[in-house]
Amino acid sequence: MASPTINFRDTVILIADSSSYLSMIVHSILRGFGATKILEVRDSITVLQVLNSQKFDVLLFDARLPPYGGLKLTQAIRRKADNENRMMPILLMSSDTRETAIRRARDAGANMVIAKPISPASLYDRLAWVALTPRQFIDAPTYFGPDRRFKIEGYPNGVGRRKGDKIVEVANESGPALAQGDIDNLFSAARMGKD
Amino acid sequence: MAETDDDVRIFPVETRFQQLARRPGGIPRDKALAQAQSKIDEAKPAFDGWLNEQLDALLDVVKRAQTENTDAEWAEAANRYCRQLRDVGTTVDCELLTFIARSFSEMLDAITMGAECDWEAIQCHIDALLLARQKSYRGVKPEQVPDLISGLRRVAEQISISQP
Repeated sequence: MASPTINFRDTVILIADSSSYLSMIVHSILRGFGATKILEVRDSITVLQVLNSQKFDVLLFDARLPPYGGLKLTQAIRRKADNENRMMPILLMSSDTRETAIRRARDAGANMVIAKPISPASLYDRLAWVALTPRQFIDAPTYFGPDRRFKIEGYPNGVGRRKGDKIVEVANESGPALAQGDIDNLFSAARMGKD
Repeated sequence: MAETDDDVRIFPVETRFQQLARRPGGIPRDKALAQAQSKIDEAKPAFDGWLNEQLDALLDVVKRAQTENTDAEWAEAANRYCRQLRDVGTTVDCELLTFIARSFSEMLDAITMGAECDWEAIQCHIDALLLARQKSYRGVKPEQVPDLISGLRRVAEQISISQP
């Protein structure tokens, strides 16, 4: 990825993590990027409450956010038709980086997974990817969220989800943890306007 | 599950974040990363207090599990503290802490899944965490303490082998 420049000024960001210290670290990193409008919450119930009263530009959740977990929370946000935050970028922070976990996050409607422990570079580059990479949205009976059809290195046919697409099993339940680069491959949009 | 094309609506989305991010006047990546690191450094003084709180709470959970007839949920409760230590350590230059907490967390995962609880292995990890807490071990990488790491790996492997 070439060095992008992202303007974070006036971007309203919600951080949701039960760890006050980790949340503070992420908050600090975002302030270093130039973001000034940042809200922290500790649980998914509060997330749903604040989403009802405020509009956000980026949502950053812990994948294990209590009590429901970040995946269920992501699904809830994506599936609520009258929620104006429904199409907001959602980035899940997770220390479970097995391929199956990444696929679950993607299938829940997350735009990106950021591997914990988080570094400024990993966060900046994933936010830049979300900001600068056009990605279509899918509204289907069983899914609402960013297009999940991805090209995975070594899987030339991609991961199919709809009629005519090939289903490719790419993960075992107990596979090895993925590096951030492999996670990114799972989230690399395939189509970009062409097959 | 395949869906028919008729069921699916595909549409482009341009979020406010994308619009804001592309405005001129953003901070170049290198400068943004340097500023972020500086902000992390400002937050580091609070780390010791937080670390002590987490470790004390973890020790309390383990001690109660050892001395009282607690249910199996203690391992998950202890794991919550381990995961937090693991997730923060490397970001604040405590890579060794992250390594030990990860090993401990994997062991507690195995116990939650039904593996036999080996208190000696648990005590090894607690001792290692208490060692890594010391200021003299800040900035120490796992490869710099090979004996400690191989010992932890050995006891953790025994737990995972015993998993049903």
